[in-house]
Amino acid sequence: MRVIETLTVPGTVDSLSKIAEYVKQVATIAELNHKATYKLRLAVDEIATNIITHGYAEAGLTGEIYLRADLDNSRLTLAIEDTGAIYNPDEKAVLQHEYLSQTLETREAGGLGVHLVLASVDEFRYERAGDRNRNIFIMHRNQ
Amino acid sequence: MAFTAISEINDDIAKITLSGELDASTAPIFKEEVESIAGQDISKLVLLTEDLEYMSSAGLRVLIFSKQKMGADVQLYVVSPQEMVLDTLEKTGFHHSVTIVDEYAAVAR
Repeated sequence: MRVIETLTVPGTVDSLSKIAEYVKQVATIAELNHKATYKLRLAVDEIATNIITHGYAEAGLTGEIYLRADLDNSRLTLAIEDTGAIYNPDEKAVLQHEYLSQTLETREAGGLGVHLVLASVDEFRYERAGDRNRNIFIMHRNQ
Repeated sequence: MAFTAISEINDDIAKITLSGELDASTAPIFKEEVESIAGQDISKLVLLTEDLEYMSSAGLRVLIFSKQKMGADVQLYVVSPQEMVLDTLEKTGFHHSVTIVDEYAAVAR
């Protein structure tokens, strides 16, 4: 496996467009198709937004977001790390069918992002690495 | 691509034309536009999304906000969403609450 790209940006919403450009670049190198590229960008965007809003801003913290992409013959692995509050998306309750069929008038707004992450990438996992949160996204190639 | 949200009210129909990329950094622009028309006496809110290239859950949250702000009597339409935006609406069950149509003429009927 080889590291193809890294990117470090401030943990603020202004960084979301740079993160999106980065994801599109590595997806192009990995030869993902348009749909897979969109889904990976969506998943990374959702997690980056959670890091920025929950991990940093709401916790009264500031810090960077570190992205790294690794490529091998069968898959593209993208990792995002941050030093914000401990935030494990895996612990967020998976949205149940009853929620997804609720009308918008009665909906709570939380949980949609993580739901989209899990629905968009081939594999997703969270781990704690020292003082960092690490979110890992995997897309299979040659689909 | 830069995000824009432009609103227009004709009789009891409010239209907002969305274009570009709707994420957490641009969703406040969309939300402001919704707030600007929330006090008006309208029966339909129509989102023209043909040129909306990307939408994250930040956009979905503005849809929830719109529906809750305007009340159950205001019908929400999404016109001509691109394939992946439609995919997101369906995966999150929003297609149960929002009417998705191919062209604006279907709303005006």
